[in-house]
Amino acid sequence: MTGSDPKSAHIVSSYDEDLAALQARVAEMGGLAEAMLADAIEALRKRDVERCREVVARDKRLDELEAEIEARAIRIIALRAPVAFDLRLVVACMRMSSTLERVGDLAKNVAKRGIDLAAAGPLPMMGSIARMGEAARRQLSEALDAFVSRDSELALSVWRRDVEIDELYESLFREVVTYMMEDPRTITLGSHCMFIAKNLERVGDHATHVAELAYYVVEGEPLDGERPRGTASDAPTG
Amino acid sequence: MILPRLQDAADNAEVKVSARNVNVFYGQTHAIKDVSLDIADKSVTAFIGPSGCGKSTFLRCINRMNDTIEGCRVTGTLLLDGEDIYAPAVDPVQLRARVGMVFQKPNPFPKSIYDNVAYGPRIHGLAAGKAELDAIVEEALRKAALWNEVKDRLDAPGTGLSGGQQQRLCIARAIATQPEVLLMDEPCSALDPIATAQIEELIEELREGFSVVIVTHSMQQAARVSQKTAFFHMGTMVEYDDTTRIFTNPSDQRTQDYITGRFG
Ligand SMILES: Nc1ncnc2c1ncn2[C@@H]1O[C@H](COP(=O)(O)OP(=O)(O)OP(=O)(O)O)[C@@H](O)[C@H]1O
Ligand SMILES: [Mg+2]
Repeated sequence: MTGSDPKSAHIVSSYDEDLAALQARVAEMGGLAEAMLADAIEALRKRDVERCREVVARDKRLDELEAEIEARAIRIIALRAPVAFDLRLVVACMRMSSTLERVGDLAKNVAKRGIDLAAAGPLPMMGSIARMGEAARRQLSEALDAFVSRDSELALSVWRRDVEIDELYESLFREVVTYMMEDPRTITLGSHCMFIAKNLERVGDHATHVAELAYYVVEGEPLDGERPRGTASDAPTG
Repeated sequence: MILPRLQDAADNAEVKVSARNVNVFYGQTHAIKDVSLDIADKSVTAFIGPSGCGKSTFLRCINRMNDTIEGCRVTGTLLLDGEDIYAPAVDPVQLRARVGMVFQKPNPFPKSIYDNVAYGPRIHGLAAGKAELDAIVEEALRKAALWNEVKDRLDAPGTGLSGGQQQRLCIARAIATQPEVLLMDEPCSALDPIATAQIEELIEELREGFSVVIVTHSMQQAARVSQKTAFFHMGTMVEYDDTTRIFTNPSDQRTQDYITGRFG
């Protein structure tokens, strides 16, 4: 199918307005989720409890938007019976909203750990965690760009790059395990690091899903085939 | 006659009707331009497209209804079970018993409800006696979702029914002869949602034994009832594919613009 939105507008202009409103909410969610993630990592790194709390509080807005997007999408499906590009777009927006809501949850979890950890002194492996966080944020950001600009090439390249985060996760995982084995007193801090890393790795997966949705809207076909996978199989899944 | 299979022919399914390079002219008007497609047996094929694009014209080629239109000329090849529909030896009346049609506007005969439905079975000698004919009439009326409304007044004139009832009467008349192919030109445009659902249920049932071709302006109806959809535009067939594909990811921009309501 063509690589962009249909060129002509709907004959019924209120249909276009409904679709535009739906997409505006998704774009807002994307911006919020990305900012929450960046701020959570920054606050964690700086051990800024206030900022962590502020990130946690922002999650509520994402939940509201998710509910609103779902209601709008259901309304469009019921009243307009979308087909072809329109159908793909509405379905993708619904899935985008639940994916971004989960990204918000993960950012919130990182921020919550930031609150608990602030008193415990500097985190080991903070450099690696920050690098991973930045990689996940960039993936999410580019996947969102691909969605908004209907760029299936970009979506594909984001999708292929998920392996990088998996690799970062894998190496961080080994680093933390070695560290904990060397000094059992660091096990508590080390496990916090691991959960944070796991959260960021999940963000990477969600970014990949956003890229899949971006691709589907444009191309009309799901992005399938074996995605290059990292070797994170022995890592915890919590 | 064996024709090469078309690339987009109804895959796997047996081909019931084949059209190759069909052109239709009404005097100077070139209404159908070089249309080739295969219609599968035991399946429902939908024709969609803007008003005046030639859906009814093409449908009428399949049972030679265009023969009856003054100044109408059909060229190209049309086969039913591999046999040329336009061969000189073919009797159009016999052909129309095999290829039944429900028209865009209901056209009951000025006869009783019963006689409207019994007409085809009578002339083709399908019933051995009165009881058998009664059974055929009842079954056709039931399938067309009309029986309960007319069973107590079968002798009343068919023309005295409401528009939607008349359309269902014409459907009953068309299926009473058990045609192999049923052509339906916007059969539900005058029906309420319940009668429409009943006709769609009938179409689904007919599909088990027959080939059904339906012209419809309702995208949702095409999506609900058909396995294949052909999109016509200005006399040409723009796209012909699995219905699911047409409504999720059509290949032609014109198809997409039309079905999503963007056609200018
Ligand atoms: N009997 C006729 N005499 C002359 N021209 C005709 C005749 N029937 C149809 N046409 C012309 O042929 C073209 C195709 O008409 P047709 O009725 O097949 O369109 P259609 O797709 O069925 O439209 P609709 O959705 O409005 O029923 C139109 O330009 C129409 O004006
Ligand atoms: Mg017509």
